[in-house]
Amino acid sequence: MKVTVKLFGGIKSDKEFQKNEEGNIIFEFSEPITLSQLIEFLKLNKKPFIVILNGIIINDLSTKIKESDEISLFPPIAGGRLF
Amino acid sequence: MKILRINMNEDAPVAKFEDLGDYQGLGGRAITSAIISKEVDPLCHPLSADNKLVIACGLLGGTAAAMSGRVSVGCKSPLTGGIKEANAGGQAGQVMGRLGIAAIVLEGKPKGEDTYKIYISKDGVKIEKDNTIKMLPNYELVEKMKKEFGEKIACVSIGPAGEMKLSGASVAITDMELRPTRHAGRGGVGAVMGSKGIKVIVLDDAGTTPRQPKDAEAFKDANKRFVAGLQKHPVTGQGLPAYGTNVLTNIINEVGAYPTYNFKEGRFAGARKISGEVEAELEKQRGGNPTHGCHRGCVIRCSGIYHDKDGNYLTKQPEYETVWALGGNCGIDDIDKIAMMDFLCDNYGVDTIEMGATIGVAMEAGLLKWGDADGAINLLHEIGKGSYLGRIIGNGAAFTGKAFGVERVPVVKGQALPAYDPRAIQGIGVTYATSPMGADHTAGYSIALNVLKTGGFVDPLKPEGQVDLSRNLQIATAFIDSTGMCLFIAFALLDQPDTNQALVDMINAFYGWNMKDTDVVEYGKKVLKFERDFNIRAGFTKQHDRLPRFFYKEPIPPHNTVFMVKDEELDQLFNW
Repeated sequence: MKVTVKLFGGIKSDKEFQKNEEGNIIFEFSEPITLSQLIEFLKLNKKPFIVILNGIIINDLSTKIKESDEISLFPPIAGGRLF
Repeated sequence: MKILRINMNEDAPVAKFEDLGDYQGLGGRAITSAIISKEVDPLCHPLSADNKLVIACGLLGGTAAAMSGRVSVGCKSPLTGGIKEANAGGQAGQVMGRLGIAAIVLEGKPKGEDTYKIYISKDGVKIEKDNTIKMLPNYELVEKMKKEFGEKIACVSIGPAGEMKLSGASVAITDMELRPTRHAGRGGVGAVMGSKGIKVIVLDDAGTTPRQPKDAEAFKDANKRFVAGLQKHPVTGQGLPAYGTNVLTNIINEVGAYPTYNFKEGRFAGARKISGEVEAELEKQRGGNPTHGCHRGCVIRCSGIYHDKDGNYLTKQPEYETVWALGGNCGIDDIDKIAMMDFLCDNYGVDTIEMGATIGVAMEAGLLKWGDADGAINLLHEIGKGSYLGRIIGNGAAFTGKAFGVERVPVVKGQALPAYDPRAIQGIGVTYATSPMGADHTAGYSIALNVLKTGGFVDPLKPEGQVDLSRNLQIATAFIDSTGMCLFIAFALLDQPDTNQALVDMINAFYGWNMKDTDVVEYGKKVLKFERDFNIRAGFTKQHDRLPRFFYKEPIPPHNTVFMVKDEELDQLFNW
């Protein structure tokens, strides 16, 4: 199975992966895995704070990923003006 | 602290200092909204002698408190017809506070066509006719003021758009480098300043000292805890300093809430090219600076300096909403051209959000093609020229939509929606619909909880919980906007109760108050009540607290959702 992983906001992986033309990681796996396991495999320089799976913000990292999923990982960030 | 009233009705304008009186204890947005609500006829024409323009520093303006340099600019808005508070950074707030001025109130209207400049120092106020500055763009104007008054001033000014009294006109505030880069952008506040015949207010704090707290030790201790709290929080201590606000481009795009092609789609293929990560890298390569404060005393430093390809200063680091409005919303993915448009908006004195939304409407009308960056730049130059076309564009999205017969016009109460689609982030739709300001993301920034997971999480794609979320944020924001603090402190405040307490302690130590959390909430509600009350008297009804119908009817990809919060729920926002 293959998924696409997009890293943002200074998050980088220490490992070498196959990448698509946009520079996103193409991650291959045979057994079903969770988001949490994926993040562990990626060996990232910082822990992602916001995890987005196919455009949906995911709070439960035990969620399983499947073929063709798109995962976007962000550190804590902000902008516009809050509150 | 005093109120400085400048009356332009007379043959010779008159300046008068007054005690705060009924306005004691109010600062920033609280004092601008109180003065407008109490003193301005809600039915007046916004460009008439009966309207007032109030420029105020916050409760902590001019003190040693970190982050306390924001300025509030209030009036009856020519864009919305309701009350307006537009908020900006830059140096003016600190300088006003040190001069002992809580608010400058511009009143009346001059009889002739003369242009005035006002110079305020510790020695008093000088109001002079100066027709040599008429129609100067902001950068040229500030250079002239530097030559005349020296380099240690702060300027509050309008560009040609304000002089032409266009509804998209901003009020510019100079930054630490004395450049007119920070703008009270929204609602056409610049047009009201223009209607008073005032081109620039030069503030000079030479010979002044910071305002002194009632309890110096407690104030110093609270400020220290406050700064430590901001520095340890990952957003205010790391995220914002590294990439500025434009770090939002990628995340809002990834969650499918990035309004593209005038709110037709929720993702933009060129988003990465115009993201904060790319912007910051370019700034470093070209000798600019991605980590920079917009005023002295800022410890977050989310602003920056943007250089062109040749390494020369072009503009300040364009903010996320600017890059979205003039970029992705119009299908433009060239960051240098977007930066040029940011400069042009600052120079001619127009709101970047309103102009981006307006150019999107012009593209919808077929006036130019999607993605035509040079065409968009030319439209902004038309404003500078004062051509008929430029005056249409400079009056904003609603006006331009009417001029060219466009149905899809993304405005609430006449003001353009900013950079977050309310169909994919339902909470921000509640704020857009109900804020007394018109569509304004800052009034209740639900993105914090709907997307950024600061202070909790509320599912952005569902209608449940969004009214409560927006209400709480609108109340808290109204308070923070009154302190003179930059709203970004709220990221740390939401997550760290001790940092929140440090802010309240700092205000209490400064004024000798005994404010508690419940008083903070009451303060915020009081401000919103001033604003809501003014709008009701100006003729606004619950039907004005709605989004344009296409947000209810046209699903936005990729989530294919519409705005789902019911009208009856929106009507409960101010029932607290």
